[in-house]
Formats: sequence, structure tokens, C-alpha cells
Amino acid sequence: MTRKTRTTVRIIQYVILILAALYAFYPIWFAILASGRSGDRLYTLNLPGMFFPTEWTFENYRTMLFGRPFLTWLKNSFVVAGATTVLSLVICTASAFVLSRFKFKGREFFLIFLLAIQTFPGLLSLVAIAQLLTAFGLYGKHAGLVLAYTTGTLVFCTWNMKGYFDTIPIDLEESAMLDGCGPIQAFVLVALPLVRPALAVTAILAFLSGWGDFIFASVLVPAPDSLKLAVPALYELANSVSVPWGQFAAGAVIVVLPTIVVFLLAQGAFEAGLTMGGVKG
Amino acid sequence: MAGWSGRRTSLTIVLFLLPTIVAILIFNVYPLILNTYTSFTNRNQFRPNPDCANGLNGVLDPLCWGVFKAPQGLGSPYRLQSPILKNYSILMGTLFTPASLLALLKIIIILAPLVVASQVNKRLDRGLTRSIPSGAVWLLAIIALVILGAALNFFAALNILMSTGDFLIVVARTLLFVMLRVPLTFVLALTLALILNDKTLKGNTFFRAVLFLPWGASSVAILISLVWQFIFREQGVINQLLAALFHIKGPVWLNNPIAAFGVIVVADIYFSFPFFMVAILGALQSIPADTYEAADVEGANYWDKLFGITLPLIRPAILPATVLTSITAFQMFGTAYAITQGGPQTGAATPGATEFVMLYAYRQIFQLQNYGIATAFAVIIFIFLFGVTLWSLRLTHITRGVYE
Repeated sequence: MTRKTRTTVRIIQYVILILAALYAFYPIWFAILASGRSGDRLYTLNLPGMFFPTEWTFENYRTMLFGRPFLTWLKNSFVVAGATTVLSLVICTASAFVLSRFKFKGREFFLIFLLAIQTFPGLLSLVAIAQLLTAFGLYGKHAGLVLAYTTGTLVFCTWNMKGYFDTIPIDLEESAMLDGCGPIQAFVLVALPLVRPALAVTAILAFLSGWGDFIFASVLVPAPDSLKLAVPALYELANSVSVPWGQFAAGAVIVVLPTIVVFLLAQGAFEAGLTMGGVKG
Repeated sequence: MAGWSGRRTSLTIVLFLLPTIVAILIFNVYPLILNTYTSFTNRNQFRPNPDCANGLNGVLDPLCWGVFKAPQGLGSPYRLQSPILKNYSILMGTLFTPASLLALLKIIIILAPLVVASQVNKRLDRGLTRSIPSGAVWLLAIIALVILGAALNFFAALNILMSTGDFLIVVARTLLFVMLRVPLTFVLALTLALILNDKTLKGNTFFRAVLFLPWGASSVAILISLVWQFIFREQGVINQLLAALFHIKGPVWLNNPIAAFGVIVVADIYFSFPFFMVAILGALQSIPADTYEAADVEGANYWDKLFGITLPLIRPAILPATVLTSITAFQMFGTAYAITQGGPQTGAATPGATEFVMLYAYRQIFQLQNYGIATAFAVIIFIFLFGVTLWSLRLTHITRGVYE
């Protein structure tokens, strides 16, 4: 390849990358810009203002954080998502351990059964779940929501953790067992510390399934204001009669930015994790 | 694993799997059973509550379990209906009439050359040398398709099928969405991954981070989807740009069925391409460099290497991801719900242009409260997804464990 074509190729590569980066970044940037506009406007009619912060005020953030029950919504979301994460990790690490380390009748069947049952979309079982939670007195309560979310994460979480455990050679634990550990002890002391990145990725995804969910939260905990979760509450705000757009955008930024920061911090783990556990299996 | 006697091992297995099994039984299996049962009843907004003495209502519906008294006076109770498959026949409309079945047969015949071509190619690939290139086989298939399509009047047959009822319209639109969204995501993700796989590229880390952002955003998809709606509104960014740069008055994107469909595709690709890109990057890094060196010696050009080495080698790693995203694309809900809510409506009684399966189900359940119809719809969708999943498991062999 000649020098000249190589430069041309590079230029084309950069053009593609820059366009893709704009595509990836602009919607988030749009929300950030809108959150800093004064008044209740979603747009500004001067075009540069659509791309650069020509005006900026923290008024919306102030109203959102102190003038509305937004902090309560955030706290609710955090508690529900956190409880989901802990419960989900405990349950699925246990089942993934057994599915990876023991050979027993029905193991293969159980794994396939998990995948197959998951193909029934959650949205379609929502009425039944709502009825069930009502019967148990958990409808409209965070506990019911946590149970529903946890079950929703189990299949992915079990499969993912099992995939990781499979990559840890069993010899390590067997040598620990020669030294007198039981299988569970050997697993907890030897294998579990080795899959910390996997635990981190699974925990993040379990947390976010609760943090970002809309439909379950809006159906299972519809009221009152003090129990609502951040995402459905914000969506409701955006669909109310006269929408304070700046405040909505400020709320959305507060919900979205931490999510994105966590993803960026865990990027390495995601890239390593996917190739190990999720995709290659 | 050795180390324990048999009984203790089986006790551990049972105890450790129990929470998962119980949770799945309560929150997945039970709703599935209740859902299937409800699809045989006449439950709707006028009959929300069960007749506890009828059929299995007393056993299955929580409203009949002594925890609370069966509510009275809210219309008449629902019960099993006769004929028992009435909801299904309403849903299918006139699909099972001779005219519609003939149209369906015609469409199958018209599309048959594609299936034949892929089978022929597979068989040719097995041989050591290929006498006919795969492109030629596909070209022949497409010519056959066009001739058959013209002879059997493809569009007339399609119109007959589409007028049979909601079911086929909704499913066909969703499949069209999947067929646009998944390949486009794949091409975008592959292009970006191939560029970013070059370690000498300046700004590699920066671009990786920025292109990774939408994955983070996808976990709060409903809010970011609203932002996409803002961008494509009548006064939105796109139309302002069009007006300022080209002095064109932009269309009302979300009121135009085709444009709205396109907006949903663009927004949904946004959420899904980073996952794909990361998966492909991982697969690319596992290809040993000397494979390419050998090809360079043979004088292969870039495209030879891409189609001859790269794509076949990343296939096993990418296939499960593709199947997975196809299934999630089929179940897409949030993006379309936030952007168009299923609209724009094209007629009073027909589903909107972006009313995909999950939106249709949502509207039937939560807005129209047609539980009977909605659950029948859910049963059919479940059978379809179940089949696809089992087929994809066979295709990708991902259930192999540590011992096999």
C-alpha cells in the first residue's frame, strides 16, 4: 500500500469515528445543555445553543433537588436497586456454583429451562405478578418490586457467573480440598476471589436493571409520591400537562450521569468479561 | 467434584438451587400458567374478576384465594368461554380462510429461492473447491425471487395477508424492525471495531470511551429515548439544522409512518451498538496475527482478508450475541413507547406504524384491558420466542459446561 492511500484510509477512519462519536454523545450532551437553560424551554431557537452552552444556570438543579421530592425518588431507586443487587448476587452465585462445579442429573435441562422460561417477556407477566403481589400484600411496596427485579436478573446472572466459574480451573479448588477444605469452603476461598471482575459486572448490571427500569416500577408502585422511583417519576414529569423541561432534563442528567460514569469505570471489566463469560460461554 | 459423600452433595445441590427455583416458579412459571389459562377466558375490562367456581379460576387466580374476599359488583365475573379458542380466532382474524391461506402459500413460494440458495451454498462450502461462487448462487436466487414475485403478484398477496387482522400486521412490522435493526447494528459495530482494533490509531482510548457511552445510557433507555424524541420533534434539533443549513422545512418526523419507524430504528441502534462493538473487539483480539501474515504472503487484499479470515474466525463468538440481540430487538418496548407510543395511527382500528409486539400487548393490557386477547397474543409470541431460543441454543452450543 502506498503512503498516500494509507493517509486517505486514516482520514476516512477518523471521519467515521467522529460521526459515530457525535451519534454516541449528542443525546447525552443535549440533556446536559437543556438542564442548564433558564425558563421552561426544551429548545432554544439560536442554533449554536443546541450544541454549545451559550447560557447556563443551576436553577433547574436547585429546584429539582430542593423544590421537589426528587431526592426521595433517588433514595427509593437506590435502595430498591441496591437490595436487588445483593439478593440477586447471593442467589445466583449459589446456583452458578452448583451448576458449574457439580455434575448432576438435570443440570443441562435446568440451564436450558432457565433460558427458555426467560423468553416469556416480563411485560406480559406483569398483570399476574401484580395480582400475586396484591395477594401477598406486597403490591405498591418496595419489597415486592425488589422480588420482581431479582427474579428478572436471575437468569442472566446465573448464566454469566456460571460462564466465569467454568473458566476457573477446578484443580485449584481440588488442591485446596486436599488441604482439608470442604467444596464450599474451597470455592469461597479459592474460586470466588478469582472472579471478582465477574462479580463486579454482574452486580453493576443487576443494580442498573432496578435503577433504570420503568415499566415494572410504574405498574407495581404507582403511588404515592413518597414511594416512587426516580425513572418512572421523571417520565411522568415529562408527560404532565405543562412540563418544566429544564427540571426534567436536570433530573435526567442526575440519573444518567452516575450510570455512565460507572460504565466507563467498569469498561475494562466489561470488555474482558464479555469475551470470557458472556459471549464465548 | 469429589470430596463429599453422595447424600451431602445432593443436599448442597438442592439447597443452593432452591432460591432460584422458587423465584422462577413464582415470578416466571406461575404468570405463564395464569396467562395461558386467561387466554381461554372472556376476561376484559367489563369482566375483570373471576367466577371462582368456574374452571380452574378458583385455583389459579389470586383473587379467589381466601387472602381477600372475591370482590362483588364490578360487572359480571369472567369464566372459560366457548368456543375455548375464541380469543385466538379473534386475534387471527380471517387468516384461516382459503383466500388468506392461498396468499400465505404464494408468499412462501416467492421467498423459497432464498432458502434454497442458502442450502445450496452450505452444501457447496463443504466441498474442497467451489465451482460456483456464492454470489452467483444468490444472484440466481434473487432473479428467481423477482420472477416469482411478479408472476404470483407478491404485493397483492401481502395486502390480503395484512388485512386479516392485527396479529400479522404487528408481527410483520416487528420482524421488519428486527431485520433492519440487527444487521445495521452489526455493520456499524463491525466497522467501528475494525477501526478501533488498530492499536496505532491515535485517540483510540478516547473513541473507545465515547462509543461506549450509549451502553451506559441504555440502562436508563426510557429517559434517553425521550431525548431522541426531542431531537426529532417538529421544532427539534434535526429540523432546526435542516432549516439553518439547507433552508428546508423539515417534515414532522414522528407523524409520518415511515419516518417514525426510521427514528425508532436509529434510536434503538444507538442503544445496542456498543455491546456489539465490544463483543466484536474481543473476538478480533483473539485472532492470531500470523494468520494475516500468511495471507499477506499470498497477496490477499483487505477485503479478501476481511471475508476470508476475520469474519469466519469471529463468527463463533459473535453468533450468540447476534441471536441474543435479535430476540431482545423483537421484544423492544421502551424506545418506541417513549418516542412514538406506537403511533402514528394510520386508521381507527389498525395498530399504529410503530406498534411492535410489546407495545401492542401493552396497549391491549393496560389501556384497553382486553386481557383475554392480550394473553392469547402473549401465548403465541411466547411459543415463537421459545422455539427461536431453542433453535439458537442448538446453533450456538452455549450450554456446554466445564466438564464436557
